[in-house]
Amino acid sequence: MTTNAPTGAIAPNVEQPAPGAPNNWRRFFSFSTDHKVIGIQYIVTAFLFFLIGGLFAMIMRGELITPDADLVDRTVYNALFTMHGTVMLFMWTFPVLNGLANYLVPLMIGARDMAFPRLNAIAFWMVPVFGIILMSSFLVPGGPAQAGWWSYPPVSLQNPGGNLVNGQFLWLVAVALSGVSSIMGAVNIVTTIIKMRAPGMGFFRMPAFVWTVLSAQMIQLFGLPALTAGAVMLLFDLTTGTSFFDPIKGGSPVLYQHFFWFYSHPAVYVIILPVFGIFSEVFPVYARKPLFGYKVVAVSSLIITGLSAIVWVHHMFASGTPGWMRMLFMFSTMLISVPTGIKVFAWVATVWGGKLRLTTPMLFALGGLVMFVFSGITGIMLAAVPFDIHVNNTYFVVGHFHYVIYGATVMGVYAAIYHWFPKMTGRMYYEGLGKLHFALTFIGANLNFFPMHPLGLQGMPRRVASYDPEFAFWNVIASLGGFLLGMSTLPFILNMVSSWVQGKPAPDNPWRAIGLEWLVSSPPPTENFEELPNVIAEPYGYGKDEPLVSNASAMIGTELAPTPSP
Amino acid sequence: MESSVESQTMNSQVVDGAAIAHTAHEHDEAANSMFGFIVFLLSESVIFLSFFVGYTVYKTNAVNWLPDGVSGLEVREPLINTLVLVSSSFVIYVAERFLHKDNLWGFRAFWLLTMAMGSFFLYGQAVEWRSLEFGFTSGVFGGTFYLLTGFHGLHVLTGVLLQTLMLGRSFIPGNYDNGEFGVAATSLFWHFVDVIWIILFVLIYVWQ
Amino acid sequence: MKTRTFLTLAIAAIVLAAISWWIGQMSYSWMPPEASIEAKLVDDLFSLLVAVASFIFLGVTGTLLYSAVFSRAAKYDTSDGPPIEGNVAVEVVWTVIPFVIVMGIAFYSYQIYDQMDVHGPMEHRHAAVPTDAAAPQVPTERPAEVEEIEVLAWQWAWEFRYPNANVSSTELHVPSDRRIRLALKADSVIHGFYVPAFRLKQDIIPRTDAQLEFTPILEGTYRLRDSQYSGTYFAAMQADVVVQSPEDYDQWLTLAASQPPATAYNQAVYEYERAAKKPISAGWKSVPPAPAPMVNYAADPQPVSPQAAIPTPEDKQS
Ligand code: HEA
Ligand code: HEA
Ligand code: CUA
Ligand SMILES: [Cu+2]
Repeated sequence: MTTNAPTGAIAPNVEQPAPGAPNNWRRFFSFSTDHKVIGIQYIVTAFLFFLIGGLFAMIMRGELITPDADLVDRTVYNALFTMHGTVMLFMWTFPVLNGLANYLVPLMIGARDMAFPRLNAIAFWMVPVFGIILMSSFLVPGGPAQAGWWSYPPVSLQNPGGNLVNGQFLWLVAVALSGVSSIMGAVNIVTTIIKMRAPGMGFFRMPAFVWTVLSAQMIQLFGLPALTAGAVMLLFDLTTGTSFFDPIKGGSPVLYQHFFWFYSHPAVYVIILPVFGIFSEVFPVYARKPLFGYKVVAVSSLIITGLSAIVWVHHMFASGTPGWMRMLFMFSTMLISVPTGIKVFAWVATVWGGKLRLTTPMLFALGGLVMFVFSGITGIMLAAVPFDIHVNNTYFVVGHFHYVIYGATVMGVYAAIYHWFPKMTGRMYYEGLGKLHFALTFIGANLNFFPMHPLGLQGMPRRVASYDPEFAFWNVIASLGGFLLGMSTLPFILNMVSSWVQGKPAPDNPWRAIGLEWLVSSPPPTENFEELPNVIAEPYGYGKDEPLVSNASAMIGTELAPTPSP
Repeated sequence: MESSVESQTMNSQVVDGAAIAHTAHEHDEAANSMFGFIVFLLSESVIFLSFFVGYTVYKTNAVNWLPDGVSGLEVREPLINTLVLVSSSFVIYVAERFLHKDNLWGFRAFWLLTMAMGSFFLYGQAVEWRSLEFGFTSGVFGGTFYLLTGFHGLHVLTGVLLQTLMLGRSFIPGNYDNGEFGVAATSLFWHFVDVIWIILFVLIYVWQ
Repeated sequence: MKTRTFLTLAIAAIVLAAISWWIGQMSYSWMPPEASIEAKLVDDLFSLLVAVASFIFLGVTGTLLYSAVFSRAAKYDTSDGPPIEGNVAVEVVWTVIPFVIVMGIAFYSYQIYDQMDVHGPMEHRHAAVPTDAAAPQVPTERPAEVEEIEVLAWQWAWEFRYPNANVSSTELHVPSDRRIRLALKADSVIHGFYVPAFRLKQDIIPRTDAQLEFTPILEGTYRLRDSQYSGTYFAAMQADVVVQSPEDYDQWLTLAASQPPATAYNQAVYEYERAAKKPISAGWKSVPPAPAPMVNYAADPQPVSPQAAIPTPEDKQS
């Protein structure tokens, strides 16, 4: 391993690549400690789970295209939406964003790897493990968990099959392991960002993406333990007969709800913050302008982290929450729009008057931003208690969060994958396929998720396998949009696979972007930097014509520079 | 890989003077590990915090808090246990001081004493558990009592195991050439477990 | 130049505001009928929310679209845009304005909530829970007479009891223009009482009685839906709500009281038994439903409102 690294960097096209070299595909199937390998491992694994979660959604939309519960049994439908939500959140969004953070953060801050490479690899390899545990619940008697991704007791404690190892049990084990993995990842990323920055890389020289990752991972650190506490207690209730959350035996189901949302609300910012970071990286590159108000945008991430901890009860407005608490959390929730607005307006100002190039990443970022603003505003509506009481647990909420979670998050992740694809693989993707992918995704997502809003306003509850015929019209449109959205993944997969195999070789910096990661080769050598960069400027110096580092040539290491052998 | 990073670092010292200070810093792995460990402990403390909040909510809202036939918890033995555990925090500190002064045998002696005190605590807790007339499933009170003391006990056990590991490692020649991260982290963990116990003791035994 | 930009901006803002106000007015038609005083209050709030939302969304999207169309770089133009890094005044403005807007929304929501006062005299289970921050400020139009009805949520059936009239029913009848106070109880799991036409919703937690107050004003038949996921037959846990004139309501009570209790039709029980009879199960094991309630007045198995029909496979075959 030791000597291979520089070899790979020096001669990328050697016939037989050594195991750790950037051009050996086998390393992706190994216990590699290279953050770039792990990053890609995360992204690809997560995407596979995205397809599985999406497949569940396709069956659900198939069921919902007619008012009756006719396609699948009610228990199957209930299991499907439970697994859909769980897979999408714990096995797609968190891992894929961790993958991007893993790949990009060390490169962006000028580090050779993460602070704890081995811990990093362990955290990753837990993902397939708990993924398989969760999927195996389809095989146990009684089937998978059917209590929704919240697993609210007492429903989650009912266990009709009476087996000790049931779907809910496996669900809890998988979620707990996912939590452990996320904590390990968070400790690693936070330490890396605080301790491993290159010379000159002060906090206010870090790219905005790094700021958002730091803010997001801090949420994992303070939030996940609360979920873990709740999950452990639920597990005891389920298996050993304790009565923490069983109201019949004197327990408090509402306490579980507090534990759950104390984490799961902030978790949505774990998801969206890195996407904000992606927007902040993508817009300047393709608008050829510096990120407007960089410092404020950076700090607003931390403000969001802080606020995210004090709004969770907005998910419980109808849960027997007393009036004073409803009002308190309405006000705190409203505040979130201020730091978020700062970011949105900053992006608009960045794009304004720029020299736009509507490449695939830019299109995804713009489309994602538009859908984010829509979802954010419906979020503010939901925060208004009297209105939320009407639409709580209806499709209006489902519409709100799919706009943000698909429209903003998945589209943002697509933007990131296209944008950094040349860097990660050393190949260019096909622009035409990319644009087709964007068009299908944008149209599909809006057709799929917009109709959910009128449905919710009219009073259609969520989590129903059957519904009154008056709701059929919008549901048919939503289902058709959903199927289109499912199809939209095909050009993406085609593009990624074929480009990686036979795409045009990518130059180091195909987008003329500013950032440490664009100064090294594509794909970067194992050790990232020959010599650690010495950063002398703020990021996003578009139009300013100033160097980012003082030692560019030493940093990338020319072929002539002899690599010392150990 | 380690050595390669090392050698490149050497190389960069030649090329760029400015990098020296920082690369040395970058390679202060013990410092990184300690930082990471502290971050982890902060996160871990939120689990305990959640349990404490849960306990408080249950207790203040319960109609019948104690299970039938249970009049309260005996405080005397747990108090002795508490004193032992709290004192062990000072003992482990003394052990660390010895290590700083390179007095290995002094370190081992006090380290072993800490372990003994930790084990005594675990033993005391086991005795107490055995004598109680309510179980894990005796209502919310029984549940929270065993959950809190059990989860904490698990941490004490982990601490003692870590200490055993560190004790064994102290016999490896040159073990402390690269710093004393293992010992420092174990000791920090021990203080953490201690502080948690004090809160727990006040919540469960004092506030009845 | 400066004034021209300003003027253009001002005109754009005014046009946008007008459009947004119009969309806000449209929003009343997106909602179900306003069958209670509370519904009117909520719809007013919603209209405001929609107007503000439209203004922000159209403003941001419009600006982005304008840029995407008019600020494109020519094909071989590799130059950069102007290196503008920020502008403190602008940034302060777009921090303060959203703050003011959302605080305005929050205060308005607070007032609406206050007027709805849906919780009536909150039952204080715990000493720790202080009185409603929203001091009860009874609106004048609210009737003084209060009709008390018990709502029982079984897994999965709704049952309504009229303690003063000795009536139980699977259909909720309420008199219009009277204050209704519901005492909500759940059997084994959490359910949610939700009538979209009333814009009201309240989770019902077992062993924790909840109350809900409202004033129906529009006669008709509406749907009551379980809003808190409660297991296998959750989707089928619906009932009709009939708002009647007080006279019709009293008549109904007398009629119902005269009928002997009988087992009502229950969708969950029906489906569960049918599934049990099938030789192979298409799904997984379900919690058995609570027995179908015994009531004086059972809604027709073919529910009254046409939209309410939950077709069973049997219906489709015949
Ligand atoms: C990534 C995910 C994500 C994000 C970022 C958000 C962001 C927000 N969400 Fe959302 N939300 C979810 C995911 C997310 N949500 C999920 C998954 C659920 C349901 C879970 C479940 O029940 O299963 C949910 C549910 C949910 C509820 C509960 C509804 C209910 O169950 O009854 C509420 C209520 O307050 C809410 C509010 C908000 C608010 C106020 C924001 C804010 O952060 C939005 C802030 C953004 C903006 C406001 C737009 C940009 C700002 C401007 C352009 C400035 C000007 C704006 C104004 C002046 C208003 N969300
Ligand atoms: C990241 C999060 C995320 C994402 C991306 C999605 C994506 C989608 N979601 Fe969902 N959703 C949630 C998170 C997410 N969702 C959550 C948290 C819930 C709440 C759960 C609960 O209530 O407990 C929910 C609930 C939910 C419901 C409500 C269910 C109910 O309440 O009854 C619906 C209904 O339409 C829905 C639909 C969809 C659709 C159509 C997509 C589409 O975007 C999917 C598009 C499809 C694909 C991308 C896959 C295409 C695959 C193929 C064509 C086959 C190939 C497959 C293989 C090779 C295996 N989702
Ligand atoms: Cu019935 Cu929820
Ligand atoms: Cu939330």
